[in-house]
Amino acid sequence: MAAPLKETRINQSRKLAFNADVVAITIALALAALIRLNVIHHIGW
Amino acid sequence: MDSSAASGKRTRLPTQTIPVPSDRTHAASRQRQLLALLPGILLLFAVGLAGKGMEWLGFWLRSAHHIYFPQIEYVLWAILLGLAVANTVRLPEIVRPGLATYELWLKLGIVLVGAKFLLGDLLHLGGLSLLLVAIELVMSLSVMTLLGRIFGLKPKLTSLLAIGSSICGVTAIMAAQGAIDSEEQDTSTAIAAILTLGALALFTFPAIGHALHMGQQSYGIWTGLAVDNTAEATVTGALYGDLAGRVAILAKTARSSFIGFVVLGYAVYWASRGQAKHVQHKALFLWQKFPKFILGFVAISVLATAGFFSRSQLGSLSNLSKWAFLPAFAGVGLRTQLRDLLDQGWRPILTGVLGEIFIALVTLGLVFAATHGARQ
Repeated sequence: MAAPLKETRINQSRKLAFNADVVAITIALALAALIRLNVIHHIGW
Repeated sequence: MDSSAASGKRTRLPTQTIPVPSDRTHAASRQRQLLALLPGILLLFAVGLAGKGMEWLGFWLRSAHHIYFPQIEYVLWAILLGLAVANTVRLPEIVRPGLATYELWLKLGIVLVGAKFLLGDLLHLGGLSLLLVAIELVMSLSVMTLLGRIFGLKPKLTSLLAIGSSICGVTAIMAAQGAIDSEEQDTSTAIAAILTLGALALFTFPAIGHALHMGQQSYGIWTGLAVDNTAEATVTGALYGDLAGRVAILAKTARSSFIGFVVLGYAVYWASRGQAKHVQHKALFLWQKFPKFILGFVAISVLATAGFFSRSQLGSLSNLSKWAFLPAFAGVGLRTQLRDLLDQGWRPILTGVLGEIFIALVTLGLVFAATHGARQ
């Protein structure tokens, strides 16, 4: 069987997983604002 | 240093999380913690860009020089390259914290892809998905529980597998782990089983979709309903096409929104049997378990629908989401340790495989019924 996850890591990760949501939304809204304000003109692919 | 790393064991990469080195958590500054993420983030982007480069190289060789080169999209290249790196080279500890940020890039991509959905589409497709998700939930929870009993799995491991396969994979298992007070080894086994099944879906779902000549929308809904982990569902959808990828995200997001209710149900069940703590504030519990990035996805969609962005700005947002998905796709490959997946024992894997085949067939039938009904 694989080594079990460390409890500290699980607890710590859960706490930080919430931040991933907040950071993702913050970055997305900031980028959207920059694009809306024409600070960022064009993103290619 | 991580104790397992110190003992020389090969640890599975943390999933769905952004951990920082545990011994530095309290001592190091925020800046040092962020710097610790950089090497892994660079590796994610490097592998993702290499995948995009391979797609471009293939196109160039075929069109300019008429040299045969596999016609594979960057999505699959990024995963294959990630798998190759993770399973042939022992990755240094320094890159591991940053590799776990693939979840951040995934969520960023999902929030940004909201710009491609008008609110009407969101309500129509999201509403259809919610209805199908409700049916899928009941079926998959029942079947997984039954299979767990047949194969003699521990009850809490069965609960974790049922939660993981019915809702959203690793995130749901992690959310349930504390709520039902399960053993860490059960959590580890359930996560490995779900990741194994996700890896299988990457290669089987597109083939089945093509064999059945499924449309982009039908395939996207099916993938969002049947593939467990958000990352794998996004990739499995994107492998079929752009629209399929976006619809898969929408269906998967609808499915993920149920996470709080299912985990709460299991928490109440195990508490009633005296094997978990009672949930005091149920509304707060639901809010804590709710995946908040869905709110960002809806917010961007509302802004797009309200005409906040011009057509070219919407194009830029859409392209930004593709750039955000690039390291996330690489992360799916980089965090998959084939050896770990094979080490979990046959019973959880077999339970998961049989349950997933059942769920895939049921959801496929639901999607065909829904799309056929819509045409009439």
